[in-house]
Amino acid sequence: MTETDIQTKQTQSNGLDNKYLIFLIDDTMYSFPLASALEILTMQPITKLPMVSSDIKGIINLRGKVIPVLDVRQKLGLPEKEYDSKTSIIVLDIHGMHIGLIVDIVSDVMLVKSENIIPPPKKTAESRNYISSVTHIDDKIVLNLDCDLFFNEELKMLVK
Amino acid sequence: MSNDDFGMDSLLETFIHETDEMLEQLDEILLDSERAGSISEDNINSIFRITHTIKGSAAMMSYNSISVLAHSVEDVFFILRESPSKLSLIFNTIFDLVFKASDFFKAELEKLQDEEYIEGDPSELINQLKQQISILKDEAPSKEQTGSESSTVNSETDNELTGNDVSKILVFFDNDCAMENIRAFMLLNQVKPFCNEVSSIPKNPENDPDNANKIIQDGFTIICKPTNSIDEVLSVIESSFNIKSYELLHTDSDANGSPEGQNPKSTPKDSKEEQNIKPTGKKFSSNAKGVKQSLISVNLSKLDILMDLVGEIVTAESMITNNPDLKDLHLESFSKSIRELRKLTDELQDIVMSIRMVPLQGTFHKMDRIVRDMSKKLGKKADLIMEGGDTEVDKTINDAIVDPLMHMIRNSMDHAIETPEERIAVGKSEVGTVKLVAKNTGGEIRITVSDDGCGLDPEKLLKKASDNGILTKPESAYTDKEIYQLIMLPGFSTNSNVTEYSGRGVGMDVVRKNLEQVGGTISIDSEKGIGTTFTIKIPLTLAIVDGMNISVGDSVFTIPITAIRQSFKVTDSSQITINTDGSEMIVMRGECYPITRLCNVFDIDNGINDITEGIMLQVDSNKGGYCIFADELLGEYQIVVKPFPIYLNKFDLKNQGLSGCSILGNGSISLILDVNTLKKN
Repeated sequence: MTETDIQTKQTQSNGLDNKYLIFLIDDTMYSFPLASALEILTMQPITKLPMVSSDIKGIINLRGKVIPVLDVRQKLGLPEKEYDSKTSIIVLDIHGMHIGLIVDIVSDVMLVKSENIIPPPKKTAESRNYISSVTHIDDKIVLNLDCDLFFNEELKMLVK
Repeated sequence: MSNDDFGMDSLLETFIHETDEMLEQLDEILLDSERAGSISEDNINSIFRITHTIKGSAAMMSYNSISVLAHSVEDVFFILRESPSKLSLIFNTIFDLVFKASDFFKAELEKLQDEEYIEGDPSELINQLKQQISILKDEAPSKEQTGSESSTVNSETDNELTGNDVSKILVFFDNDCAMENIRAFMLLNQVKPFCNEVSSIPKNPENDPDNANKIIQDGFTIICKPTNSIDEVLSVIESSFNIKSYELLHTDSDANGSPEGQNPKSTPKDSKEEQNIKPTGKKFSSNAKGVKQSLISVNLSKLDILMDLVGEIVTAESMITNNPDLKDLHLESFSKSIRELRKLTDELQDIVMSIRMVPLQGTFHKMDRIVRDMSKKLGKKADLIMEGGDTEVDKTINDAIVDPLMHMIRNSMDHAIETPEERIAVGKSEVGTVKLVAKNTGGEIRITVSDDGCGLDPEKLLKKASDNGILTKPESAYTDKEIYQLIMLPGFSTNSNVTEYSGRGVGMDVVRKNLEQVGGTISIDSEKGIGTTFTIKIPLTLAIVDGMNISVGDSVFTIPITAIRQSFKVTDSSQITINTDGSEMIVMRGECYPITRLCNVFDIDNGINDITEGIMLQVDSNKGGYCIFADELLGEYQIVVKPFPIYLNKFDLKNQGLSGCSILGNGSISLILDVNTLKKN
């Protein structure tokens, strides 16, 4: 974990700021700032916690550390999908907390020039609330998620 | 980041850490001394040493304002080291000044931790200190003792002794002890061996019985030149019989000193010990002196790694002991070795756990300063009583509660404790009491902050909450307890004026959040006019416990062994009664126990349903005994308790029967049950 932290910090100062980690939910491409991503795990058994909100699938053991895991589909209000070999968990660092996100497929890292980032569209369902910007790649659209907005609910309840 | 940065960082870290520790020591010495009314020789030395060290290390780091200010304080105490008696000249002002210097240092240390360090300006303080130094120096250049009593007019100038090292001691005997003149004579004889020259007023007391009356009225003055130090003479007097009081006379004002004391030094026998003689036992905390412990600073992250490692070793050891491969084998020598290993890992685990533990003492003492400062500033009088300072908690918990405690003590002083006039008007004692108590109640640490101030006023609180629009239900629907909780909502404040200390309404909600970060809770109890008590509870989650692992469906749970009375299989289903509301009970030996099916509590579909197939565990809770129904027992293990991620705080899992989780040997996670909060069906 420490190694990754140092790497993240170093690459940050090398201009990670315009790198994004792309993943897929169904056919839609989303992304998180690469600076927030710590690592990517293959799907592993999740210990269920009964009295939590439905988007929190439970907790996992990451080399001795217990971290919560959320299902992105649930958070976006999409119907659940069975996990397969491509399903992955992206571990993010949100203000010091490590949180895992279950996504369908992790795709790529993209380097975006600021001129290619445009403000989010006004429509689209729930995801609208979490999108900070949109990028055009080739002829596809990537919805860039804002970490603070995505975890807004939970962050509000905690000290920062 | 270059290596230079790392080097500088760690140097800075060390500087801050060490200076912090010294400043804490300094504050403690100052507080104790101020209360005692004098500074012992040892303490003068300590203060000198501390400021000397700070001066040096700050200079090395090129922090000039810190270094120069430390130098000024050091100068003052350099003089006091040579002539401790001169303390009386600057007694009233020196404490405030050194406290201010200490505050300045602390503020600079805080600033150093920011990106840019902009030095503060200590010149005003330095000037004031320089003034003190000149006051000290203007005194006649006599060393050690009361050299200038030659300028004191003494009508009974029978003393032939002159010189710089002459001391005068005024002694009063107990009332009605009779034959004071003879006793005085005997005292002189006792003192003689320790002095080069001795004289007295009255001279030769034994010759004239009238001297007894003189001695009763004016006291018996011993004038002497001690061979070694005046301390020896004083200790002789101290250990003599029938002495009511004795007093080392200094310069001007003491010529007619009476035991009642006009200055801080003329106090009865006992406290003399604190003044010039090396105190054997201080009345207040002895952290400033006492046994010099060998201490070493350790990087906290190394400790974390160590803790984790020990946890893993414990788990691995458990896996060996309970390995299915060994199930039916009788291996005597192996078992013996395993037991030895177990003993060693137990010891290892105890020690490692204790390394991170620090006594709350240090944190509590910080509150001393706050009460003192606020008392002065607000013109209120309050005593801070502290109990349980020796209770030890993990360092992270200690660090987390400092700010909340400070805030609550400030609140008590600012809002709760009334001015002396107000207190007397309502029949309370003039001096208020703020009490800080810590107790380890097994699974948690309980800290109470209480005061005998004006208490919380439910009406006033309700109104303020209503004004701020933070009420969620009609006013009448609030119980008093709920009203008290309102003060912990953000933006709440009944102070119309924002003072230096409070009133901004950002206090109690931050306190609560800080505590929640370490898994703690806070509750409030109060009675208008009587006082208020805040109770903080922090669970000791960093623990290794003996647990019984059980399975329900695919899930694994752990129940602390200490909670389990017995486990058994139900053979006769007629023992089970089903109540009208669907809940189940089992009758055993004439007693009725409710049954909690874990598969129901935790929504597990694939658990065992047949009551005769699974396993029953009878547990003891603080609400009585009951039975837990699970699929099967997996074995007794030593597990390392890990708290749930902070992210899940809002779900309050602790109150839903889950006190934490644990990583099993195979990497999966077991949920640790809290039998006290486990909800029954």
